Amino acid sequence: MLELILLDTHLPSANLPYLFAAFAISWVVLFGYLFYVNRRQHEMRKEITRLQHVLEQSPENE
Amino acid sequence: MAATQGIKSSGGLGIPSLKTGMAAIAGVMMLVDLYFIFMVAPTDAVLGHVQRVFYFHVPIAIMSFLAFFVVFLGSLMYLIKRTPKWDAIAHASAEVGVVFVTLALLTGIIWARPVWNTWWTWEPRLTTTLILWLIYVAYLMVRSYAPTESKAAIYAAVMGIIGFVDVPIVYYSVVWWRSIHPSPVVGPFAESDALTGTMSLILLYSLITFVFLFIYMVMERMSLRKMEEELGKIRFSLRRRRR
Amino acid sequence: MNGLLGPILVIVWKDILLELRSRDLVVSILVFGLLVVVVFNFALNNAPGRAAELAPGILWVAFAFSAVLAMNRAFVREQEQGGLEGLLISPVSRDAIFLGKVLTSLIFMLLIEAALLPVYAVMLDFSALSLTLVLTIFLGTLGFAVVGTLFSAMAVQTRSREIMLPVLFFPVVLPIIIAAVEASTRAVGGETFVGLGRWLPLIGIFDALFLVICPWIFAFVVEE
Repeated sequence: MLELILLDTHLPSANLPYLFAAFAISWVVLFGYLFYVNRRQHEMRKEITRLQHVLEQSPENE
Repeated sequence: MAATQGIKSSGGLGIPSLKTGMAAIAGVMMLVDLYFIFMVAPTDAVLGHVQRVFYFHVPIAIMSFLAFFVVFLGSLMYLIKRTPKWDAIAHASAEVGVVFVTLALLTGIIWARPVWNTWWTWEPRLTTTLILWLIYVAYLMVRSYAPTESKAAIYAAVMGIIGFVDVPIVYYSVVWWRSIHPSPVVGPFAESDALTGTMSLILLYSLITFVFLFIYMVMERMSLRKMEEELGKIRFSLRRRRR
Repeated sequence: MNGLLGPILVIVWKDILLELRSRDLVVSILVFGLLVVVVFNFALNNAPGRAAELAPGILWVAFAFSAVLAMNRAFVREQEQGGLEGLLISPVSRDAIFLGKVLTSLIFMLLIEAALLPVYAVMLDFSALSLTLVLTIFLGTLGFAVVGTLFSAMAVQTRSREIMLPVLFFPVVLPIIIAAVEASTRAVGGETFVGLGRWLPLIGIFDALFLVICPWIFAFVVEE
């Protein structure tokens, strides 16, 4: 019985789902993080230009 | 359009082009790395295809340790020199390090199941990685819960130094602990430490790839922080003008 | 040396007087310590034969959590009354303040542990009359006090300060907990100092290392 299990895990194709899972998770986490940072940068950039615009206008209001 | 604004707001041509260059290098190297891992690397005789996880897991784990070494250096330099740049480096490196250490744990768990026949074992390296994760999550937490920006930088630096000094002690205490309490589930195949020549060459290449990826990620995080600071300054001057 | 020792003793004496008047810290932690034993007794299904095996673990969980609660309480009290600010304005070196606080925490914790230990010994059925066990408890508690004092000074300033101290504290003191449980298991089993192996030196090294680093870092934590 034990030998059978060992044989099963020995087969090169037997643990392919684990291989797939490991690489899938790596890509999701790495790209997810880079995507998150990029989106935040984009939001910041938009906010900065908007506020800079407001800043340029505001002295005239006074 | 966004790119030109980025250049304008970060105040120099150098940074974005260096960042783009780094992204290109990391991207190309990663593609070649994948080719090596799946096409060139021989299938492990004992472990089968799952052994290819090794080429990702090991560099990621090494990179997380490197990241926290950078955090330690940045924290130390910040406390001594008090230049925000060192804090920015430590901060970015800590965040990217947490991403890497999370991945090291996840890929480690996936590796352990088929190879050691268990999802988790209190093996010294795995345990130290978990403690590393906890320490640097605490680092990010104390930074975001601190009362002011300058306090955040100091508190984080404290954790960055204490945490790094602590890691070797954690490691050795778990090694000694394991020598008395061996885990009941010992994998049928301990690690196949017999790496063939091609295997170790590919591992080395993969490690270099991840070094570039790490540098790129830290640069992205640092430019995000730069924008956050800039936004803070603009908000501050707006508020003052309103008064 | 005398210049350092004087202020340290004054700080310790001040905190002891404060505690003698209010008595809210030691008493509440003692009750907490008793609760831990009761809860663990049922959670781990502590059968008579297993007591010696489980006792050191329960002991150190109780001590570690008591240490966190005690130090958090001490610094929150300090913060509410503005005590630490007063100390920082006074012409006392930061090292003296830090070491004074460490000594205070150490004294309080050792008092609590001295009261809890006989009770635990009876309830968990082990012999507390062991010099090796006492030394292990002393060294372990010293490590808790050094690291805990530094982190308390930070945690008390943050939002959600009740959770911040354990989050910072436990990952860092993990080596102490591992070593202390191992050393206590042997000490309870009647081993001599030699029989404790590397565990006692490991706690000693931890204590010495952080006693050197933490005072230096503390000065940055409390600066204006």
